[in-house]
Amino acid sequence: MSEKETQYFIEAYEEKRAALPGAGGWLARRREAAMDAFREAGLPHRRLEDWKYTDLRQTLEKAAFAPAPAHEGAVVLPGRRSASAFASIDRHVLIFVNGRYRADLSQVAHLPKGVELHALADVVHEQWAKDLVERRFDDARQAENIVDLNTALMSDGACLRVRKGVKLDKPLHLLFVAQDAGASHTRNLVLLESEAEATIIETHVGEVASFTDIVTDIAIGEGARLNHVKLQDEASDAVHLATMRARLAADAKLSSFALTLGCGVSRGQSFVLFSGEGAEANIDGAYALRNKQHADQFCVIDHAVPACTSHTLFKGALDGKSEGVFQGKVIVRPHAQKSDGRQMTHALLLSRDAAMNAKPELEIYADDVQCAHGSTVGELSKDSIFYLRSRGIPEDEARRLLVLAFLDEALDLTPHDLARDALKLLVSEWFGEVAL
Amino acid sequence: MSMLEIKNLHVTVGGKEILKGIDLDIRAGEVHAIMGPNGSGKSTLSYVLAGRDGYVVTEGSVRFKGKDLLEMSVDERAAAGIFLAFQYPLEIPGVTTMTFLKTALNAQRKARGEEELDAVRFLKLVREKSKPLNVSDEMLKRSLNVGYSGGEKKRAEVLQMSLLEPALAVLDETDSGLDIDALKTVAEGVNALRSPERAMVVITHYQRLLDYIVPDVVHVLSRGRIVKTGGKDLALELEKSGYAEYGADAA
Repeated sequence: MSEKETQYFIEAYEEKRAALPGAGGWLARRREAAMDAFREAGLPHRRLEDWKYTDLRQTLEKAAFAPAPAHEGAVVLPGRRSASAFASIDRHVLIFVNGRYRADLSQVAHLPKGVELHALADVVHEQWAKDLVERRFDDARQAENIVDLNTALMSDGACLRVRKGVKLDKPLHLLFVAQDAGASHTRNLVLLESEAEATIIETHVGEVASFTDIVTDIAIGEGARLNHVKLQDEASDAVHLATMRARLAADAKLSSFALTLGCGVSRGQSFVLFSGEGAEANIDGAYALRNKQHADQFCVIDHAVPACTSHTLFKGALDGKSEGVFQGKVIVRPHAQKSDGRQMTHALLLSRDAAMNAKPELEIYADDVQCAHGSTVGELSKDSIFYLRSRGIPEDEARRLLVLAFLDEALDLTPHDLARDALKLLVSEWFGEVAL
Repeated sequence: MSMLEIKNLHVTVGGKEILKGIDLDIRAGEVHAIMGPNGSGKSTLSYVLAGRDGYVVTEGSVRFKGKDLLEMSVDERAAAGIFLAFQYPLEIPGVTTMTFLKTALNAQRKARGEEELDAVRFLKLVREKSKPLNVSDEMLKRSLNVGYSGGEKKRAEVLQMSLLEPALAVLDETDSGLDIDALKTVAEGVNALRSPERAMVVITHYQRLLDYIVPDVVHVLSRGRIVKTGGKDLALELEKSGYAEYGADAA
């Protein structure tokens, strides 16, 4: 492959591999294989169905991201509100700067017995980490293959293991700050053993031209429960690529909510695999975009076993020349009877130049299932605006009220009450920045 | 002085002339009823006063409290004291009635240079206005008009009116879809708002509503013109004879 950006990543790998976590062990061999696969495939482009609406190759070649430097000194959190949105929540905070963990800035109080929290380098020798990193889902290979880039170059990450029956006492907040321009590759690993519980809040902020490549591998044991809240608000010349792969054992529950406000181009990929009956996954989100922002949600849920429930709802408001994408697939395997899968996406176009591409799909091979998918794209109702204005509400405020009401249905799915309120406040302030 | 002065008003909708020269003079303290068959232009008149898009004034003038109403935007008209009670109030999912009322009241107060009400004072006021209209706290917490019965929607309209205290209230077919008990509740709410400073225009097809909201003046609108004006007895006449003699298609 001769593309410029692919070459950047290959060179970065050649240069850094000896210093990356896991050198000399299984991970070094795994990185080598991943880099071979990446060299072979190159960056994904528009001609691949899974990347039809988001040409990552073109995006990255245009931006030409060199590796982000290690940042040792003091860090100034970006002025934007997102950086401190969760400040009032009692939580453990891990801060990553340019993709690297900064123990000196983080605040992790005494953790309960049975909760292990480490940086990536400290767990790569453990079997559970190996299992998580090596596991592939293979439901949408074109989309999942980009994880190879992360596997080859991942330099750090938060690794959380919660032992059987243990509850993480307060939310774990992972705050990723892009302080300097460039690319960072982060890998988070989360293992909840049976009946364990945890809430993870993830924030991505920055004011620079950064490329955030983050993969979160999750395994949730029997009857265990993981809540996940993600806020992405990086700079308009930043690119964000996030992949979450989660495997759920019997009666496990995952509730994930992502709010996308920032970035020039962002792509959030979710892969969920049910491996035990009675499990439940909620993969929901909202986005508010303007100018030339582009946000892509890609979501695959694999009902590989019977009697699992999945719910996906993404709602977005698109202003300016922004573009939204939703590609989703619910797969119900032949023996997975009593599956319940719902996948919905609704977009509101606030300008004539905004666009939405939605492609929800169902692949159902079982007969006794309840599945539904749907997609709508609409505009604000002129009649509703007239009604509100006829009561004295100025037009801008009427539009703001209606858009917030539209997004609220999704925001209400945030699996943590205080985090939900924080996200709602951010969305309401989103309107304050530029009049609609 | 006139509260509302309409002179030779011509209005087209989608290129078709609906109002063909309306003259109307309404003073503070008066209640005017505008009656007429379907298609006579009653709702068009109410929408023109509220400032809805798509209603084009081709001739004539409308002055409200001495100012040119047609120059004002929809929300400016509301802040100046015009209130239209909708025939079919819109459902607004996701915006609670309480939030809507507070936003509307404070937007009007702000536009008039008055102090906005804080949450506590607002709550006290809205409770005081809700009680006589049988609007429960539970109703106020629901999305505006969503899942409301016909009667609840009209009560909610009257609550808005009572809270916003307009100088001129235009009630568009407020009786439609109401049974007799709901009609009485709504009429009582409207009557409680009658005052020497306030004018009302009650638009209706049927005389029934006027048994409960007794007008000072009754106008008959037909084919875009006011064809007869009289006292409250004119409504009773119409009830007997129908609109046929005014050249309208009998409804």
